[in-house]
Amino acid sequence: MADTLVKVENLSKNFDKLVVLHDVSVEVTRGENLVVFGKSGSGKSVLLKCIIGLMKPDSGTIYINSKNVLSLSLKELNEVRKNIGFLFQGAALYDSMTVRENLEFPLKRHFTEMTPSQIEEKVKYTLDLVSLEEAIDKMPSELSGGMKKRIGLARSIITDPALMLYDEPTTGLDPITTKEISELILNLQKKLNMTSIVVTHDLICAEIIADRAIFLRDAVVAFEGDIKELTKSDDPFLKNFFSHEIIKV
Amino acid sequence: MNLPRHRYGRRLTYGDYLYNFFATLTGLTIFNLEFLKQGFLPPYEIGEIKKHMTELGVKTMGIVSITGLIIGLVLTMQSQPVMQRFGATDFLPAMVSLSVVRELGPVITALIFAGRVSSGIGAELGSMRVTEQIDAMEVSAINPFKYLVVTRVIATMMILPILTVYVIFIAITGAYIAIIIVEPMSFQYFQQSVVQAIEFGDFIPSVAKTFVFGYIVGIVGSYKGYSAEGGTEGVGQASTTSVVLSSLLILIFDSVLVKITLMLWPTL
Repeated sequence: MADTLVKVENLSKNFDKLVVLHDVSVEVTRGENLVVFGKSGSGKSVLLKCIIGLMKPDSGTIYINSKNVLSLSLKELNEVRKNIGFLFQGAALYDSMTVRENLEFPLKRHFTEMTPSQIEEKVKYTLDLVSLEEAIDKMPSELSGGMKKRIGLARSIITDPALMLYDEPTTGLDPITTKEISELILNLQKKLNMTSIVVTHDLICAEIIADRAIFLRDAVVAFEGDIKELTKSDDPFLKNFFSHEIIKV
Repeated sequence: MNLPRHRYGRRLTYGDYLYNFFATLTGLTIFNLEFLKQGFLPPYEIGEIKKHMTELGVKTMGIVSITGLIIGLVLTMQSQPVMQRFGATDFLPAMVSLSVVRELGPVITALIFAGRVSSGIGAELGSMRVTEQIDAMEVSAINPFKYLVVTRVIATMMILPILTVYVIFIAITGAYIAIIIVEPMSFQYFQQSVVQAIEFGDFIPSVAKTFVFGYIVGIVGSYKGYSAEGGTEGVGQASTTSVVLSSLLILIFDSVLVKITLMLWPTL
């Protein structure tokens, strides 16, 4: 328990009559990379959004750093959120701001004691981590899909979060960029000593990143364990899922 | 709150319309209450309010200038033959300026402003909603309502009265241009007539109601954008319905405010 950073217990979420998550329990230890697999619409993103507090589950508990986030006030929840980074599927860059302003935004809000030169330095350092220093004055509309993901990643890690949540970080990218982004995520995780939960159905990404994987199916955790065990499972559904993934790759 | 949508190949039923009406009314009321709560809590985001005021002012300056000039010109040209029939052309400057100050200036400016700004806010926030930018702000522990909505509503409330005074000035200038064309009159006489006709008391209720109109434009645009869903279709709907609803509310509130003004100042 002492080493557990995220603990989800018996989480359930329905949308009208559609059961998306039913009694899902997951634990993530500090420094671990957990990959959440599942078909589209299997509730992977819902799980992430419940953890960060964007959605309220119907039942269950979520502990982050031993705090039950579902019982916190918005102010307390925001304190917890300051320690979490979230990379959205479409990167969700603020399109009215330049890359520099996107990165400065959380710093200016939460680190009011930082001087402009310290902010500038931090922005440049973080852009260097994602190898996109030259994009500093570009608008999001001038960036490619892969560049947007990198900038989104830079914005998420600029506050040095202890936990990173990734929602489909490689969807829509070509295999080479997928590999680059996945390796970048892994390197950052090692460099910054972060814990990560990665939602994906991309096998290349999962194989690079995952320390452990779970598979969501029919609203429950159908599998939990090593990524190699998962891909070599005898379960006909998993076999079918991963054979398609491999063909796609 | 999920509103039934009009989709190609499917017509909304009367039940859908009724549900939409009450859902919008409820949603807008809750949104207003949230604004009142958040508006008084720090941080006040003064820099962001100033930025929006400048943007909105620049964005609408051209169109309201043209509108103001045309109102003054047309109103004068239309009224001149009637006034001439009654031998009252000397009263033309007073009549036009009073109409512009009391009613046409505030209402027309507010309607133009609604068309230009409310749709813009609806589309901007709607697009931020469907591309998860608002969620991104929320997960970064930044209050998106405060940063995006409160600042825009305060900016629209502050800028519309300024624009209205400007439009009134331009419309009176337009009236003078029209008078030169249709009825020879000295500038001195025109100026004197206008100054004598308009009292400072005429400005107070008309400018005061533009604060309300500005609030309507900001809050409706923000509400429609903030609650947009369903991708680009949702953004389009947010933009369109913002204009329709805010224009309608401006006209409804105008009649209510005119009645209140006349009750409070019966001599006006």
